[in-house]
Amino acid sequence: MADRISGLIALLVCIIYGFIAFTIIEAPFQYDPLGPESWPQILSVVAIFCCLYIILLPDNDKFKAAKVAIIRLVVVSILLSGYAYLFEPAGFIISTALVCGFFSRLLGSTVKECVLFGLATGVLGYTLCVILLDLNLPEGLLSSIL
Amino acid sequence: MNEVIAGLSNGFAVVLQPMNFLYVLIGCFSGTLVGALPGIGPINGVAILLPIAYSAGLPPESALILLAGIYYGAEYGGRISSILLNVPGDAGAVFTTLDGNPMAKNGEAGRALSLSAVSSFIGGTIAVVLMSLCGPLLASVAVKFNPSDYVALMVFAFASLSSLIGKNPVKTLLGAVIGLMISTIGIDANTGVPRFTFGIPDILAGIDFLVIVIGLFGMAELFTLVERQVTGTLKVLPIGKSFVSFKDLAAVKWIILRSSLIGFFIGVLPGTGASVASAVAYGTEKRLAGQTGYKFGTGDIRGLAAPEAANNGAAGGAMVPMLTLGIPGSGTTAILLGALLLFNVTPGPLMFVNRPEIAWGLIASMYIGNIALLVINLPLVGLFARMLAIPQKFLTPLIAVLSFIGVYSVVSNPFDLYMIIGLGLFGWILRKLNFSLAPVILGVVLGHLFEVNIRRALSISGGDWSILLSSYTSIILYVLAILIVIVPAMMKWKSKRKNEDKTVGITS
Repeated sequence: MADRISGLIALLVCIIYGFIAFTIIEAPFQYDPLGPESWPQILSVVAIFCCLYIILLPDNDKFKAAKVAIIRLVVVSILLSGYAYLFEPAGFIISTALVCGFFSRLLGSTVKECVLFGLATGVLGYTLCVILLDLNLPEGLLSSIL
Repeated sequence: MNEVIAGLSNGFAVVLQPMNFLYVLIGCFSGTLVGALPGIGPINGVAILLPIAYSAGLPPESALILLAGIYYGAEYGGRISSILLNVPGDAGAVFTTLDGNPMAKNGEAGRALSLSAVSSFIGGTIAVVLMSLCGPLLASVAVKFNPSDYVALMVFAFASLSSLIGKNPVKTLLGAVIGLMISTIGIDANTGVPRFTFGIPDILAGIDFLVIVIGLFGMAELFTLVERQVTGTLKVLPIGKSFVSFKDLAAVKWIILRSSLIGFFIGVLPGTGASVASAVAYGTEKRLAGQTGYKFGTGDIRGLAAPEAANNGAAGGAMVPMLTLGIPGSGTTAILLGALLLFNVTPGPLMFVNRPEIAWGLIASMYIGNIALLVINLPLVGLFARMLAIPQKFLTPLIAVLSFIGVYSVVSNPFDLYMIIGLGLFGWILRKLNFSLAPVILGVVLGHLFEVNIRRALSISGGDWSILLSSYTSIILYVLAILIVIVPAMMKWKSKRKNEDKTVGITS
């Protein structure tokens, strides 16, 4: 079942991709014999055949993932999106400390551990990357101090 | 031959500059460190560390030496978690666990680790020697390739990829096509027409290669770790005082030699890396062992030496097509190829002529890296083993932080941070559905080259498709492509029928 469903979703995406390639993409002038549309057209045809094969002859019946694991993944995705959202405005140190703290708490560390871990990763990570490696990381809220 | 010697001395001159030498050591060390982390294979390690190496502002040859060191080191480090934890970092390390872990359970972990370090060293060295001999030769042939030959080469690469990686060839092919499709997103360089951008300005220039690599490898790995959530600390077996003896080495010397060669040649085939090589080497040695073959899997040193030598042989072999043809031999070298492109170095036959300091510097760095790894690994294995004790609850968030640092320090666009989360989930789903991710990244890396060469070829012929079959080189490549798809399929079909005959015989 898992293969059939994912195959159908992939087929749908490939059909949309192919539809765009065959109808919408067009160059105002013909620069070369193929133009920008032929290559995606070829790809979409190959992909559609692959999807059809997978739908007709699936080899993977089950999508094995425990419910708990899925919930955990959803929570982690939300947490990481929060990280992405805070990364620039709050700055590397604050956002990293918060996210690492919550993340390790989620994975089963004690409150004390996760506070220490969060702070250590934020501060040490910043020192290592910005001062030693000269990388570009956001200062955010702490920009007046750093 | 003179060319090789001149090139090598040129390369060693680059590598032996004190700073570059230091980068080799740092690369090897940090690669081993990352490779030793449980569950993180070379490809994830290189993916996570690549952007950091890239944005540290090094000159291209130094950065590539560093990256190659990480690549090599991670291949080396992977065996530590395989042997002591029974957790293979990637598909290539699975065969190391088969005999390595039982040895550790028997209290011979030290012997297993040192033996595998020596086999890896020999495998890696043979590969790099062969590489310096074949590389320029292949490059001098490839220099004469025209666009239609390149198209044929790509077809061959994707054919060997789908026939040799993963269980289901169609899924591998679809994975590669997905990669090719991703690479079409953005403005078409020839005509300036935007493709599949849906009006989102952030992807007009295409999805950055680093974002795809970190998303599909770093983040997908993180989601897999979260899903499995190994709580607490895994039980690390003690290393003990045992060590490899000359008797052991004498017993496996031919095995190491054979496996290194097998590894190298399988590594050279485009798209097939360490995983196929170690599987083939293990299988071959088991068959050659004949009557004593039953000992394989119970802690036999032969079963440990074979996959480890092949592994590292393939790691070197995979660099050959990457450097000489611009077509990576494995997923990890696809990432290295992407790194070369980031530095505005176009890999391929001309690299040996135009940028010899990079091509030969890289090769020379692998000689030094191999020795450095052996020297680092024998005494410091205890230190690396301690990495295994890092609890998952700290390791997993660290992967997220490293991925975010990597993406942000290179692209500095918060949009791409969301993108890696999305790509990570996508990669996790693909892995759950038995797709391997290496073909996807090969598709992404080669997509542009593939399309450009097809369009160039047809521009030359004025739209006549028969140009694709106009030279002997391309015809030979197409024949090889067909063979590489048909032969393994026939062999599978034959052995299946044999098995069916047997079962029929038993039941009747």
